[in-house]
Amino acid sequence: MKILVTVKRIPDPDESLKFAGNAIDTSSSKWVANAFDEYAVETALRMAEHIGNKDRLAEVIVCSVCPKDKRQHVTQFLAMGADRGVIVDADETAMDSQTVAKLVAEVFRREGCDLLVSGKLSQDSEGNEVAQRAAGLLDLPQASFAATLRWDRGANALTVGREVDDGVETKTIPLPAVVSVDLRIVLPHSVKNGATADDHKYSDGARLASLRGITMAKRKKVDVHTPAALGVTPSSHVAVAGVTAPEKRAAGQIVDSAQTLVNKLITEAKVL
Amino acid sequence: MSGPNPLVDDRDIAFLLHDVHRAEDLVAYPAFAHHDRETFDLYVDSVRRLAREALYPAYRTMDEHPPRLEPDGRVRAHAIMHELWPRMVELGLISATRPEAVGGMALPLLVSTAADVYSMAANLAAFGYVGLTRGAAHLIEAFGTDELRERFMTPMLEGRFTGTMALTEPHAGSSLGDLTTKAVPTEGGHYLIRGSKIFISAADHGITDNVVNLTLARIEGAPAGTAGISLFAVPQRRPGDGSGDDWVDNDVHVTGAIHKVGWRGLPSLALSFGERGDCHGWLVGPEHRGLACMFQMMNEARIMVGLNGVATASVAYHESLAYARERAQGRPLGDKDPTRPPVAIVEHADVRRMLLRQKAIVEGGLSLVMQTARWADDAAHGPPHARKRAAALLDFITPITKSFPAERGYLSNTLALQIHGGYGYSSEYLPEAWLRDQKLNSIHEGTTGIQALDLLGRKVLREGGRTLALLAEELHAAVAEAAQAGVDPRLGQALQGAMTTTAELVAHLGALAQANPTEALAHATDFLDLLSTVVVAWQWLRQATVATRCLEGLASGRGREGFLRAKLATAECFFDAELPRVAALAHRCRHDRSYVELDPRWL
Repeated sequence: MKILVTVKRIPDPDESLKFAGNAIDTSSSKWVANAFDEYAVETALRMAEHIGNKDRLAEVIVCSVCPKDKRQHVTQFLAMGADRGVIVDADETAMDSQTVAKLVAEVFRREGCDLLVSGKLSQDSEGNEVAQRAAGLLDLPQASFAATLRWDRGANALTVGREVDDGVETKTIPLPAVVSVDLRIVLPHSVKNGATADDHKYSDGARLASLRGITMAKRKKVDVHTPAALGVTPSSHVAVAGVTAPEKRAAGQIVDSAQTLVNKLITEAKVL
Repeated sequence: MSGPNPLVDDRDIAFLLHDVHRAEDLVAYPAFAHHDRETFDLYVDSVRRLAREALYPAYRTMDEHPPRLEPDGRVRAHAIMHELWPRMVELGLISATRPEAVGGMALPLLVSTAADVYSMAANLAAFGYVGLTRGAAHLIEAFGTDELRERFMTPMLEGRFTGTMALTEPHAGSSLGDLTTKAVPTEGGHYLIRGSKIFISAADHGITDNVVNLTLARIEGAPAGTAGISLFAVPQRRPGDGSGDDWVDNDVHVTGAIHKVGWRGLPSLALSFGERGDCHGWLVGPEHRGLACMFQMMNEARIMVGLNGVATASVAYHESLAYARERAQGRPLGDKDPTRPPVAIVEHADVRRMLLRQKAIVEGGLSLVMQTARWADDAAHGPPHARKRAAALLDFITPITKSFPAERGYLSNTLALQIHGGYGYSSEYLPEAWLRDQKLNSIHEGTTGIQALDLLGRKVLREGGRTLALLAEELHAAVAEAAQAGVDPRLGQALQGAMTTTAELVAHLGALAQANPTEALAHATDFLDLLSTVVVAWQWLRQATVATRCLEGLASGRGREGFLRAKLATAECFFDAELPRVAALAHRCRHDRSYVELDPRWL
């Protein structure tokens, strides 16, 4: 079993936004790993590890499209426990989601992977596209927004609990497949791989990179490809027309009675 | 609404670690050659996240529910420590700086410092267990036999045991020469220990199976005073007499738990050794050299206490900064229109005064601790020709690093409380808790008074100002560099002036010490305050120099501009608010005879 996990670096979403003319100023930004990709790697590791035993049930490969000298996020995921990395050396900020999906799909094909795990979106652009596009390009079944995941190794299938607007939808998909994960996939009992005891309680959240893990990550293999070597010509069908800060919130109104409030909600805000 | 308390400013950590103290230079040392900047940044990032996501949320409940001595004679740490401890261990907090040969990762102390400050700011008590275990394990690493290393050090580095330092006795607080705990040699190679200790932090907690107390005791027949003190490893449970892994009770008893005002998640206990005559201890290092060995742990602990002080001031500073930005009250001076909405209190100059003063203490103090850590790295692993100098400077600066953040940090913590107004004086808000925590830092690991005697007596006067001269070279170099970088010349001149004042005072005290040593030391604490102020001003001048260089060529409003401008403003604040105290303190050291000549009966 080979699991490919997509990972991306983004400007730290906790920093306040700075603008430079018509664009966001990232010149002094700290670049960090996308949180949903941390959940994706955690998911893959929980699938691969057999708690209480040394054997591993899967190889976990992290894949990132980024300049090859800006790979700290890849090291971080290797330090968490991924086995090796693949970098597609390119300026991802100049690419659209379709190009990124093509690159990911091609890596998946060449590596002969069985499962693609992605975070449901990246926190910078909140596109939520790559996993679905890659599934289309690979012509594989997909389950997006996974909150729970059970791997039935006998049937070579995954049962995925998807968080949808009106509840949780449970789907079973055969492998190979594509899964995108949501926040709750890192709750203590969300992932079951059929080997680790079903009642095993994982720590809440994605694991942190330990100092030992960081040092070991330096020795792990990371292949670097160019888009050309993968046979993908970067294209951008999406152009940024401009970036502006959202309008400041106007001051609220203080009303003198509940009745006035209800009237305003009906007639002005039109939400009732 | 602003986000949760960041504990420490990430931009400041990057600035101090990389731009000012140049952590990357350390990878040129063979001991650190396997590291790079990425490792440093990733480690700091992991610890910072653990601090924000796990340690800080546990702070209030640990403060509100301190461990108690239970009817069964045991003390149990807050239940949440059972979750926090393995996570701190797993990240590598205990063993990070230890060499690979003993299971560590040989991380520079400078980098470990940049990470630890987050854990301490988040939860001093929780980190206390780590700090104590680190120090105890390092003592056995440095002075213990292979057998002791295997038996006690390795389990501590792996987080299976914790450690303590057991020095103080009820009748002899800071006066270690008077301690009476006894050690009687046996044929089995161990000693039988008997005596009592007090204020022993984390000597019982139930988080791990065992606690190893690094204990000072007097071997039967040893000379009186500090020359007769030896160091022992005295575990709560010891290996059984049979073979195998059985560990038995070692006759170490908790006789009381201190009700502390701060650091309430970390129990401070009274211990009794050998009530049944069956408490085994193992000698660590040579006989009668215990105090010298213990000083290794104490010097490390003193640097750690300095960082505690910085961290505790830092978290409170950030709390008060967020509060000042959110709390709307009053209108700008001169605006009398009551229909206009009130402004955030950060708009009031007096609130900004209190914020900038805190920032000057916090970030100046942090730079001081990082400078100290850098010297520790240089002394242990730097180029051979530079080690001696770094070791001398490290030894010299330690009492300053220990006491400045504790003393000025306390002021900083009161300002954070003040900004919160009436709410700050309530336990609904956290600044009062940090104020309580901070107070300990001027007391434990040698009070400020002890640090002052160490600095002026041992380090300045006894060695005739040799290391002080080395320090002065560093300061002169910084003044020259600041001038070259185009820093406001007023700052360099002020530091030069303060150095001249210091040199003249040292000459005066040196002469006085020849005639009357006691009188020369009467103002030791004022001298410590004076030299600390000069040293931190130096650190601010260095920061101003780096900030000025980074600002060159940076377009207005871009990148780190705001952060760097704030650095320059804070440097100026330190030079205007703190450095002028040097003249007053020097005057006091020379002329104030009020308490030197005071008859205590008149009080």
